[in-house]
Amino acid sequence: MAPATLALAAWGIVTGVAMVKGGLPVGVALVFSLVAYAGTAQLATLPLILVHAPWPLVMVTSTFISLRFVIFSAGIRSAFVRLPLRQRLASAYFQGDLPFVLFGKRFGTVEHDGNETHWGFYYGAALTCFVVWHVSAVTGILLGSLAPTSWGLDLAAALAITAVLIPMLTNVPAVVGLIVTSVLAVLTIRVPLRLGLLASIVCGLAAALAVETVLDRRSSTVVHAAETL
Amino acid sequence: MTGVHDVPYLVVTIGCVAAVSFLSRASFAFLPESVKLPPRVQRSLRHAPVCALAAIVAPAIFTEHGASALSVYNYRIWAVLAAGAVFAKTRNMLAMMVVGMAVFTALRLA
Repeated sequence: MAPATLALAAWGIVTGVAMVKGGLPVGVALVFSLVAYAGTAQLATLPLILVHAPWPLVMVTSTFISLRFVIFSAGIRSAFVRLPLRQRLASAYFQGDLPFVLFGKRFGTVEHDGNETHWGFYYGAALTCFVVWHVSAVTGILLGSLAPTSWGLDLAAALAITAVLIPMLTNVPAVVGLIVTSVLAVLTIRVPLRLGLLASIVCGLAAALAVETVLDRRSSTVVHAAETL
Repeated sequence: MTGVHDVPYLVVTIGCVAAVSFLSRASFAFLPESVKLPPRVQRSLRHAPVCALAAIVAPAIFTEHGASALSVYNYRIWAVLAAGAVFAKTRNMLAMMVVGMAVFTALRLA
């Protein structure tokens, strides 16, 4: 837990710095950070907001990035499913990457009703992350506003997103998705309203899924061949 | 006009990010127990964040003033390569940041 919260604090500071150095006024950055509680989605939508991209594009982009939470939500549901709706929503509000990973490490996939041990652990992890995140992000925003623009700290946002991306590249389809999306996003940079961005995401995702399907078929053929031997 | 000076626009966009962030986290809290996420869908969703992040970060690194900037004089490419290598090896975000910014600054001033 301790090393994880240190990493989270570093990520919070970096996100805070990146937001103001990307060009958001301090007040807007503070409101954005405190209201959204969405680290990566904040960083990703920042360049869109700065160029006044249409708001539906901002929404779609943050939806794609937040889709992982749908998986998390499904993953921990069984531990919370018998609680009243208000308590389920409260647990959802404090959901994040880190609480999900910690909960999964501690309990595996809970396939039964949750109990006090599950809920206590979950809220312990989730509330700690909540506090650490907000304190470090606000610190980063205030620190970032003190650093001169000439230091090129707007690059910090790209570096921070790279750090989120690297651990996700654990399989071939993800790497294919990354490459296809990146190339298309660069090639379509002149398309108005940043619509090239959306097209790149859709094509990249399609490529990743296509590669995954092919690889699955091949590996199941291999398994099948091994079984017949 | 840039987005940061348009207050209604900021309210809408920040509101959207906040709403999407909460609704995605709460998605299965709303659904009855009988609704399950098929493994196939689950695995499709897994790749969406990679693509969305790539679409944001690639132009930030490889383009300049709305045109692709694939040149050895684009210092951000070197900075990201160095930082990415450090992060892949150490998983240390601060070390990565320091190395990335140091490489960028050294090249810029050289």
